[in-house]
Amino acid sequence: MSGSSSVEDLPDQCKDLFTQDGVLLKACLGRPITDLNSIGMLCIVENHDNSKSIEWRPNDLITIDSDTQDQEWAVVNTIGISMSYAKGRRQRTFSGNITADYATARARIIRIPLEELKTFRVTRNNQQMQFSTKPGVWQTTFYFQHGNAEIFVASLKNHVKTAKTRHDRNTYVVVEPNTESQVLNKSFAELDIFTENTTDVVWNLVSNFKQRPYETTMEAFSKLTDIVYYGNEGASGKRDVSEEVADLLTKSMNEIDEATTVTTLTRQSDEYEVVTVNPMLPPRPVIPRGTPLSTEKWEGLQDTEGRVTEVDGVRQLIFRGGIARSIRHLVWKYLLDYYPWHMTHAQLKTLHKKRTEEYFTMKLQWRSMTEAQESRFAEYRERKNLVEKDVNRTDRTHPYYAGENNPNLLVLQDILMTYVMYNFDLGYVQGMSDILAPLLLLMGNEVDSFWCFVGFMDKIASNFEMDQAGMKHQLLQLQQLLMFVSPELANHLVQKDSGNMFFSFRWLLVWFKREFSHRDIMRLWEVLWTGLPCANFHLLIGVAILDAEKDVFISKDYGFTEILKHVNDLSMCLDVDKILSNAEGIYHQLVSSPNLPDQIRVTLGLPTINISTSTHSEADNNKPSTSRGTENGYPRI
Amino acid sequence: MTYTQTIDSFCEMKRLARSLASMFVRGRAMATSRTGAAQRPNGAPQTKVCQFKLVLLGESAVGKSSLVLRFVKGQFHEYQESTIGAAFLTQTVCLDDTTVKFEIWDTAGQERYHSLAPMYYRGAQAAIVVYDITNQDTFGRAKNWVKELQRQASPSIVIALAGNKSDLAAKRMVEFEEAQAYADENGLLFMETSAKTAMNVNDIFLAIANKLPKSEGVGGGPAAGARRLGDAEQQRSSSCCK
Repeated sequence: MSGSSSVEDLPDQCKDLFTQDGVLLKACLGRPITDLNSIGMLCIVENHDNSKSIEWRPNDLITIDSDTQDQEWAVVNTIGISMSYAKGRRQRTFSGNITADYATARARIIRIPLEELKTFRVTRNNQQMQFSTKPGVWQTTFYFQHGNAEIFVASLKNHVKTAKTRHDRNTYVVVEPNTESQVLNKSFAELDIFTENTTDVVWNLVSNFKQRPYETTMEAFSKLTDIVYYGNEGASGKRDVSEEVADLLTKSMNEIDEATTVTTLTRQSDEYEVVTVNPMLPPRPVIPRGTPLSTEKWEGLQDTEGRVTEVDGVRQLIFRGGIARSIRHLVWKYLLDYYPWHMTHAQLKTLHKKRTEEYFTMKLQWRSMTEAQESRFAEYRERKNLVEKDVNRTDRTHPYYAGENNPNLLVLQDILMTYVMYNFDLGYVQGMSDILAPLLLLMGNEVDSFWCFVGFMDKIASNFEMDQAGMKHQLLQLQQLLMFVSPELANHLVQKDSGNMFFSFRWLLVWFKREFSHRDIMRLWEVLWTGLPCANFHLLIGVAILDAEKDVFISKDYGFTEILKHVNDLSMCLDVDKILSNAEGIYHQLVSSPNLPDQIRVTLGLPTINISTSTHSEADNNKPSTSRGTENGYPRI
Repeated sequence: MTYTQTIDSFCEMKRLARSLASMFVRGRAMATSRTGAAQRPNGAPQTKVCQFKLVLLGESAVGKSSLVLRFVKGQFHEYQESTIGAAFLTQTVCLDDTTVKFEIWDTAGQERYHSLAPMYYRGAQAAIVVYDITNQDTFGRAKNWVKELQRQASPSIVIALAGNKSDLAAKRMVEFEEAQAYADENGLLFMETSAKTAMNVNDIFLAIANKLPKSEGVGGGPAAGARRLGDAEQQRSSSCCK
């Protein structure tokens, strides 16, 4: 952000977080008609009180200083507008009779506090955006004359948590203002995988660490005592972290103390000292894998009527060691939310019957389509084509799908076509057949495979969405994680134009399906479906794989192309148990790290630490709940 | 040093015959070697090595990966799996006085992943736009790719159009003449290919290699020297001879 602001003392000073030029005001309830159809700038601003708003400012009130500024411009004001660093503009000001213009200008600015924003939608080929603070009324409508609203939406999503509505894919409901916006205050424009200069992203990341002294205050040290609750958890028996691990972590605490460089600065305005900690992770604990969930154990975890009583225990066991082959087909139905854990055998029987009927109803919908109908139904034809093309080339080297006219291919196709009817908007996207193939191979049953597929897709549907926002977001999260776990490698990737992590696209899209044999992918998936030990554990799998290849990347000075080739060539050369163990080790390193940034905490579903207002008493720091509140409430992936 | 030169008997482009005779597709061992230090396979004096980025584009399942696999490894898989993300391979071919190393980017074809394509064709010196001769839609899609490249890619990009699956001529839906006329109008190289039979696969890559500018410049700067094999009419501002 550039300095030289002339508005420091304005009471309503605000900071532009994002600006978009060339935005036409098309409609606004309660505004004089003369205000409409004027062009302006749509911004996301941070107000003085740290709240945020969407703001539209008409262009005619905004003039731009030039270097050949006249003296008459000397009296300028910015009506609460500070610099737009996003566009590299020096300063936006308006001139003239300051009091009159000030009032007029203020009146014409449209401001929508993010706290009040309920929904927004993007229509007309992504060029029109409407906002609503009241259900059922679109109060303001803007038209994007330059390009489209994509980047604005992406940026907005950094400040509010949104969900797409089911009936209309263009409408977003604001779930809650994102408290993490400080950290996530990075627009998708920066993340954009087409951006040439990835260094900026990383620089911002690094500067975030540096500029957030709270993260690195004395608190950082005292947080080390949090290690203690590893011991507590182990003792409570809930978590499966061995005491050995706790010991290791405690040992690591001392090592950090020794290795940490401390610089003490004094902050003027408040009472505590700011300490810069050299970010360093404790040593990685080696956590052995367990044995698979056996039939006996599984049966022991159910009551006489078949309800699974110890759901957490089941998940823990599966996370530790996977599932024995003999019961895998059964347990997957629970993990994939097809069978609810609490149902009795009798209830499940009813459910199964219902789901079977549902499936065949949907199947009939496309099976009964006549050729004539099809000829007039382009969107359906298109989806059908895609399915046929991919089914024919999915896992054909596996005996289950090998050979000419293999009947299993027809089942694969039927399930995918029925899924098209189940979720026509998403349709069929490349990668889905890869997701389904192992499910069908294991289940051997069309209906069960379909509903398990639905369950899996529910977890990863955002991977396949048109705008690819889900993938982009995950690539960024992966990058952030790697930057924290292995900064040396992350920086190497950045230097080699691979900071966008695009080489891991295939990993994330189909959850490593192409990297492992069927046997191994089943093991990996069932572990990931448990949602343990944290949200987005699949990203830590990615970090673990990359970390293991670190020396190759760096010593061979691999560039963009070699990195992608090397990563693709790792396929079928990876040891699933070793990777799971490493990923879990990395998880423990992260959670025991005293200065784990909030953005990573959000990724992993850990509670954020709101340090900025807290006083750092011993008591506070010893409360495990400050950072471990959702023990068993980890969001499902 | 192994020579895997295979001049396909179906080669329809006679004008290439002379240069083809002196071209070699070198084995993989060489293909991975770094540029600049390449040995001349026939013992002749060291020649310059040019490195070019080539991208394959086209609708899903037209045979992009199969063409690359045939060209780079001489293999063909009837049920080649779909490409997720992108794949990268290299292959080196020798022209009579130059060694051309292709850095080949193979992309996912499905429309959903269209937005990723610019990342691959950006900075590419050559592109092969592939369609399936048994599917008219894929030809339409190929034309769109050509348009996009003409609009968005490097202005000097060499574009080749490949009508793949020519072994399935019995199910042909796109006439050779139609595609040839389109290619002529747009200044594209054009061949019908078959990754399955290998027909014209090496040839189309070699034709591209021939058409690419090979300057005498050092370090990949703007083309300054003679363009011995280049097309005189095609003004290009960059190559990456090293």
